[in-house]
Amino acid sequence: MAALVPGRFRFAPYIEFGKKAIAREATYRFDVFTSIGSFALRVYVLRMVWTALYARNAAPPGLPLHSILTYSAVALLMGLVLDVDQVSSLYEKLHDGSIISDFMRPISVPLYFFADGTGEVLFHALLIVPSLALALLIVHIDVPSAGAFAAFVLSLLLGYFVGFCVNFILNCTAFWTLEIHAAQLIVTWLTDLLGGELVPLVLFPAALQNVLYALPFAAMFSTPLLIYVGQIAPARYPAAIGLQVVWLLVLGAICTLMWRAGVRRVVVQGG
Amino acid sequence: MGPQSRSRVAVGPVSATARRALAVYGQHWRINLLTALEYRENFLLWAAFAVVYHGSAIAALWVVLHAFPSMNGWDFRDMAFLYGLWMLAHALHDTLFFGVGSVPEYVRDGEFDRLLIRPLDTLFAVIAIPGQVFPDELILALAYFGAATWYAQVRVDALFVLCVPFVIAGGTMIELAINLIVATIAFWFVRVDAIRWIVLQLESEFTRYPIGIYSRGVRLFLTFVIPFAFMNYFPAAYFLHKSHSTFALPAAAGLLAPLIGLAFLAVAYGFWRVGLNRYQGVGH
Repeated sequence: MAALVPGRFRFAPYIEFGKKAIAREATYRFDVFTSIGSFALRVYVLRMVWTALYARNAAPPGLPLHSILTYSAVALLMGLVLDVDQVSSLYEKLHDGSIISDFMRPISVPLYFFADGTGEVLFHALLIVPSLALALLIVHIDVPSAGAFAAFVLSLLLGYFVGFCVNFILNCTAFWTLEIHAAQLIVTWLTDLLGGELVPLVLFPAALQNVLYALPFAAMFSTPLLIYVGQIAPARYPAAIGLQVVWLLVLGAICTLMWRAGVRRVVVQGG
Repeated sequence: MGPQSRSRVAVGPVSATARRALAVYGQHWRINLLTALEYRENFLLWAAFAVVYHGSAIAALWVVLHAFPSMNGWDFRDMAFLYGLWMLAHALHDTLFFGVGSVPEYVRDGEFDRLLIRPLDTLFAVIAIPGQVFPDELILALAYFGAATWYAQVRVDALFVLCVPFVIAGGTMIELAINLIVATIAFWFVRVDAIRWIVLQLESEFTRYPIGIYSRGVRLFLTFVIPFAFMNYFPAAYFLHKSHSTFALPAAAGLLAPLIGLAFLAVAYGFWRVGLNRYQGVGH
């Protein structure tokens, strides 16, 4: 939508959009308690489940109990941020027609959604601090080497961008369907399973693993997590992170195409 | 008063009320089905979500128990049956009593007052509000339960056939009771979304695995405080002949599910009546 931006591109408005989103999210304090409460509950259940499984069975190679507990706890922490649909305002605006007023503003609308969504996610990222403190009371979380942690952060950021694209695509389908909630929940549940958020992909049968690693779901959760627990060795970082970049480019291209096609046929109900 | 209305009174107030309630309930399902037909694509997507929701949970169990064959002596076959018992009770609850979960919303929006002045029992009026409910999840749950029972090699004898409907009804009542309690809390505290969400999570997490993996305190909680363990763990342990060392309860304790459900629901309904009498509205 660069054509809509008059004159020189200015970054400052988007920072403001992000700040506004943070302030808006902060008003829903109840959700904060819910998120942290349900997070603690899930950490507890995971600890009991994995402990019971390791007590009676042989541990899989390279994945001792403390690694899998670390994996599960970090996966849940990531979920606090990655499970947020930061583009839901696009759906809402398409649904009630207020998207029209955004088209009239001298801004890039997709970039506005990115700034707004990132602000929302940054607020949720604040939840990581109390959640992590709570998690540490329940399980021990391993700390990786500095190099692995740096690779994890990079991979996590790429995972966030991939997640943004997935959410953007889903919300864009509202241009055509006006209703997206069921489709969105389907994708969320598939991501939880196929992205390795619930169960590490290394525990899936070998034939399935190769397929799952190649899917975009793995680029969101599994890749950063496996880097964190050392299942992806430093020698394989370039390949693993490279695949995330490929998915980001592919999904980014789909976002652009869908947005362009959607804007051309935007339907506003009523008036 | 015409002759017709007089003859209606003669039938007796109880049966007239029952007949009217039945007619309202019939309309409830008629509107539900018409809604599903009207928004066909959306309905199909929601049905697909039901498949994905339960499918991904079962798939996760399969992956875990493929890598680790035993969880406290339960293998995947047992866990598939455990899930099936919960799924059936849960689907039955969601199909019949979906409206109870919406009470906090009605209270918040001031819509609840409209239900109070209807010439019907208020709880019944809540249950009979049409929504986008279709028994797709229930059909899926029935099919899955049949398959899981066969797969887990549960002996299907007269006792099983006789007991399962009661056990399922018990599970449904347990879920209804807890939702009714949360709905009643909304009369005092308007925003209960947080509690509702936590309760939902508690239920789905704590019904998935044999409760032997939890600490004693949690097991006591799941047995005696919020008896989720009677939704599926105790009945499944009975049908699968699993020994459970939990509080020295006899194996047949699983068959108490309907009684536990009834008792829990009675407590919840009492609380609901108290809340209803205290209800003042949110002041719209």
